[in-house]
Amino acid sequence: MFERGKKDEGLDEGADYRSATPARAQDPGGSKAPAKSGECAVIGRSIEINGDVRGNEDLRIEGDVSGTVELRNSNLTIGKEGKVRADVYAKSITVDGTTEGDLYASERIVVHISAHVRGNITAPKVGIEEGAKFKGSIEMDQAAVEKALGKVNMQGAAKPMGDRSPGKPVDPKIGQKDMGKEAASGLNSPSGVR
Amino acid sequence: MGRATAKAPMDRSEAALNAPLFRLLADQLDTAGRRIVLDLGAASTPMLSMLGRCRCLVEIADLGCDGGIGRLNVEAPADALASIAESLLPEHRQGDAVDLVFCWDMLNYLRPEAITALMSAVARRARPDTLAHALIVYSERSMPDRPGRFVPTEDWKLVDHAVPAATIEAPRYSPEFLGRIMGGFAIESARLLANGMQEFLFRLKH
Repeated sequence: MFERGKKDEGLDEGADYRSATPARAQDPGGSKAPAKSGECAVIGRSIEINGDVRGNEDLRIEGDVSGTVELRNSNLTIGKEGKVRADVYAKSITVDGTTEGDLYASERIVVHISAHVRGNITAPKVGIEEGAKFKGSIEMDQAAVEKALGKVNMQGAAKPMGDRSPGKPVDPKIGQKDMGKEAASGLNSPSGVR
Repeated sequence: MGRATAKAPMDRSEAALNAPLFRLLADQLDTAGRRIVLDLGAASTPMLSMLGRCRCLVEIADLGCDGGIGRLNVEAPADALASIAESLLPEHRQGDAVDLVFCWDMLNYLRPEAITALMSAVARRARPDTLAHALIVYSERSMPDRPGRFVPTEDWKLVDHAVPAATIEAPRYSPEFLGRIMGGFAIESARLLANGMQEFLFRLKH
């Protein structure tokens, strides 16, 4: 069901993930082991899931998922072909496809131009690329975000949020491969500060 | 609204527009603390930047998306229009009454009956004294055939990022007429802007 790819390598648009070997079959170390650094699991375009998806490794969804997606300490990408009708909880969420449901992230959410998002977004940092279709509410206030994430039992997600500063927008051009570089690049500073 | 023409489009793109009433709102947001803001247009990162610093919850309606304007402009009984308007607004979260509404130039693209239905729906989820900010085409007889994508600059001006398009006839709603069709919102103040638009602040009556 889950296919594993090298993050941002071999995951080009139009690539056929359906032929990949299921990740669990490649994983002799035990099914609960997280992915190696730089890898992420993939739900391919032909896959349809009705139910809850939970895990402890980065995930890319190109198929259809209905239910709940919970990746407490990991990054989720909803690819251009991905259709998610679910409440989603993750460390960070990047949307290129279609989502209907509420999105919660302990670090940040980025909505790209090809995305169609209907639901509420809750994260301390949010980026909406110009041209993206979004209808819903955006909550970036740190206290409100922590309260919301606490309600969904996300206290253990990611590192503690010690920064009580106001919410920050994210440059939506930042892709998954740039994660971890934003602090050095300064791209995450509020652009509207006077 | 009006019929599209081949006339060169009114150029209001990339020129930062000084909008004093918007500036006033921004200053108030800086000191007022957390607010719930409803934007009838599309989300933009500069807007999120501005509102995020003020700890605001932002609700995005994006009426220009998925034919929302066309659905509101149908000729239908008032109760049917009310249902359409309600369906086009973001899902209302209990206890989160709206404090401020950004209409930008969305109202220029709606029939009077649609404006009444929309602003009445907004009023039902807003606090008394809620302010609504709008930009109405006033001097020009034509306007782009789709709403602009206004975003704030660092110094609180507004820039239209919309791609220039064909033009249509502008409804040029007068202040007096707007005062009668805004679904419970009354004109608080108005300013004529350098691009020929009129900037309005409306306040929800008790």
